[in-house]
Amino acid sequence: MEKKPKRIGVYVCHCGGNISDYVDVEKVRRSVEGEDAEIVVLAKTTMFACSDANQREMVEDIKANNLDSVIVSSCSPKLHMLTFRNVSVRADLNKFTYVHANIREQASWAHSDDKNGATEKAIHLVKAAIAKARYAEPLETNKIRAVKTVAVIGAGVAGMKAAISLAQKNTDVILIEKEPFVGGRVAQWDSLSTTTETGKEMVKRLYNELLKYDNITIMTNSEVIENKGSVGNISLKIKKTPRFINATACHPDDLKRAIEVCPVEVPDDFNFRLNSRKAIYKNYPSEYPQIPVIDVKNCTRCGECEKVCKAIDFNEKEEIFEIVAGSVLMATGFDSYTPAYGEFGYATSENVITLPQFKRLIDTQFDKLIYKGKEIKTIAYIYCVGSRQTDGENTYCSRNCCTSTIHAALTAKNKFKNITNYHFNRGLRTYGKQEILYADSLRSGDIYFQSYEDGLPKVSVEGAKTIVKVNDVLTNNREIEVEADLVVLVTGMVPRSDNSIGTLFKLPKGRDKFYNEVHMKLRPVETVIDGITIAGACQGPKNITESVNSALSAATKSYTILSRGELETDPLVATIDPEKCSWCGACEEACPFDAILKVENGKKVIAEINNTVCKGCGMCAPVCDPDAVNLIACSSREIMSMIDALV
Amino acid sequence: MSKINPAFNKELEKFGSVNYNACYNCGNCTAVCSLSTEDDSFPREMVRLSVLGLEDDIRSSLKPWECYYCGECSTHCPQEANPGELMMSLRRYLTAHYDWTGLSGLMYKSLTLSIIAFVATFAAVIAFAVSVGFELEKMLHFGHMFEGIAIGTIGFTILLPNIARMWYYTILKPKTKVTFMKYVKSIGELFIHMFTQKRALGCDDNQFRWFEHFILVIGYLSLLFTTVVLNWFGTSSLFVIVLGYIMSAIVFVVTIDFVKGRMKAKKEVSKHSQPSDIFFVVWLFLMGLTAFMVRLFIDLDILESNKWLYIFHLTVLVQWALIIVPFGKWTHFLYRSFAMYFAKLKAD
Repeated sequence: MEKKPKRIGVYVCHCGGNISDYVDVEKVRRSVEGEDAEIVVLAKTTMFACSDANQREMVEDIKANNLDSVIVSSCSPKLHMLTFRNVSVRADLNKFTYVHANIREQASWAHSDDKNGATEKAIHLVKAAIAKARYAEPLETNKIRAVKTVAVIGAGVAGMKAAISLAQKNTDVILIEKEPFVGGRVAQWDSLSTTTETGKEMVKRLYNELLKYDNITIMTNSEVIENKGSVGNISLKIKKTPRFINATACHPDDLKRAIEVCPVEVPDDFNFRLNSRKAIYKNYPSEYPQIPVIDVKNCTRCGECEKVCKAIDFNEKEEIFEIVAGSVLMATGFDSYTPAYGEFGYATSENVITLPQFKRLIDTQFDKLIYKGKEIKTIAYIYCVGSRQTDGENTYCSRNCCTSTIHAALTAKNKFKNITNYHFNRGLRTYGKQEILYADSLRSGDIYFQSYEDGLPKVSVEGAKTIVKVNDVLTNNREIEVEADLVVLVTGMVPRSDNSIGTLFKLPKGRDKFYNEVHMKLRPVETVIDGITIAGACQGPKNITESVNSALSAATKSYTILSRGELETDPLVATIDPEKCSWCGACEEACPFDAILKVENGKKVIAEINNTVCKGCGMCAPVCDPDAVNLIACSSREIMSMIDALV
Repeated sequence: MSKINPAFNKELEKFGSVNYNACYNCGNCTAVCSLSTEDDSFPREMVRLSVLGLEDDIRSSLKPWECYYCGECSTHCPQEANPGELMMSLRRYLTAHYDWTGLSGLMYKSLTLSIIAFVATFAAVIAFAVSVGFELEKMLHFGHMFEGIAIGTIGFTILLPNIARMWYYTILKPKTKVTFMKYVKSIGELFIHMFTQKRALGCDDNQFRWFEHFILVIGYLSLLFTTVVLNWFGTSSLFVIVLGYIMSAIVFVVTIDFVKGRMKAKKEVSKHSQPSDIFFVVWLFLMGLTAFMVRLFIDLDILESNKWLYIFHLTVLVQWALIIVPFGKWTHFLYRSFAMYFAKLKAD
């Protein structure tokens, strides 16, 4: 049965003069009133459609004329579509019956040189909107149940803070750490700037706090290997590698001996390969969890440790856990840039190391600063190595390295005698309170040289001497030569080289290759993947303060998603006509959000849309040969009638 | 290619530099300096050379002398790096460096040594007084003779060679080509700056200080002329007597203001006064005052019964002539004006 014709109201906005200076709005109004008289029961012009007065008038019009749908022809829908959808709701209409026509950006502004043309185009756009409104159906939002658990991936300072914050909000937290110990990068630092607490102490404090909450599950040596489902209901498969040490049977002295007798030596990543460690190890005495671990990749199973320690148990097996979370909070951190072979003498000169290595060096030395058997007195720091590259890929500034270098330089100066620091920088960025550190460094006699990208310092080796040369901008571009015992390359932060987790969750990356937020300013911790938030340096270079800020923010955002126990999603998604579909897989390939599932419906294999994941982008519709895909609110019928109105 | 010397700041600290390492090269000091020009800019450049310890560049530079320490740079320095005081300590450093005897440097760096020198000269004066049996006539005669001999000896053995050294470091060593005619043509600069300190007028709001200084220089030079050439203490010419009174009065009255400034230490120029600065103004004041008093006592005919006054005056005079003039701040008078002369030679 044919439905009775819809009653539609059209408003044509002047937008002050933004529209009416170029588009004859009265002509637009008349044209739609005349031709579509059978359904357009009301057509008005208005100075400002978005004004309070007009909004009130619209509500009255809708009620008085018993309208089924309204159209406002004004600015971009990005600006006011929501405004007018809400007007519809206030007049007891379904908000999806509202249709927007953009005659400002698409007509008046775009064709200010051709008033007649602009008016003509505006008329067509409004008619297309009427054509769409003719078929616009009232829609209801989808509701889904949300699991009140957050999976936090990465137990660095950001992950730990986020976990604590979520636990305080009575949310279950599963804190997943790939490494055998918690603490991430911060555990690697001793002294930190602007606090007397060391990085290790900070990690200890956070770990003890984590233990206070029953609703936090800490999983170390664990990795996410599978990800299914969508916001509210994300299933993760977690692989837990055993430590091969039975914690309950563990006697500390025996374990110490086990480490001593281990004959395997592998480069120590914790100390950035400055030295080596055993295959059974702990990075530092107070590390958490306080049980050592056997590094299976390098262990030769020689059995020496088993002889001295009963706790060693090679029978422990890898375990797979399946968990369900409503939201995932990513806090996977960063890697330090590794300079290229020969970059400022890296790897080619024995007196050249990176900043993280230098920090570990000063933390592990006492009385005298010794590197490769030589006492270090003068240190040259070369800034922005691997950051702000003009030729390379890393064009960004790594934010924390200026401060970190100055802090390390001052720490070295205070800890060891007669240290002279030379800083070869490209302009210092010790923003905020960190400026105090820079001032301290200057007053203590540190010397700063500056150059630009086109005159970077040069490191050369002459006999036993390592020489750094630069044309110093601050001294009238004079060539200055400095002899240094040690050259420290100030390397910045780069994304983790192992991006398997990002691939697994299909997290989008920015130009800097770090994970990308939806909106840098207004949605800084959300990703385009619903339910997945990002925190800390996996999003881009951050210092501890900034990491914690973003972690607390991401925790709140993840909590917000789950707090009501129920999620509402937009009904504007794709649908599949099971009659027409015969599964060819084209739509699955086209879908950027993994929203298409292959299902057996009893009769045949067809495609099915996961409504919570589908964004209604429409990529699947044109690739469907049998035309089985329909986009809600953009159905073929609606779009075709709009095209008819436009051409 | 320049090799830097970070230890230089320890050396310069001994000459009174304060915290110049804090400089982060913003250049505000140079921007606010009313004497700095685009072609000849300071003090940031001098701060930078000092931070790096590029001594050869500092020694060949005339810029420290081109600054008249209005203190605007220090007031506006966001890092409190005291560029003004840096320029002042560079002047002390250069003075020490020009001095072939090395005594300037020793006395700038060590207050103890300066005090020993002052005590030793005082002891010498007493010893001399004892040797002539405190006879006023002999003491007056010797005092007058001493003035002439001291001027000649100090001038030829210390000051002239030091000026020659300054010329060597700033003109000859940097291989500046200057024709003989240029030396002749530019000589006017030397005397204009020596007697008028014209350049100091370029500093903002400095007219009064410049005027005071100008009067003081004129008063001092006239007093020198009156006592040495016209033998003020021995003359009976009323004109000379009155001239001496006026000039000595000018010297001690005007210096009061300078001494007060140093004591209050409110202006940038006097905030970080070194002993050499204090000695200079105090001894100048004492010179003027004691000379005035001695002549007054002669005119009142009471000097015979107050010989101590003359001994005091003679002590001040000897200390002035043997310590402050050759090795102390007095040399500014010469180096500044020669610097302006040399700068003219270097220009165009």
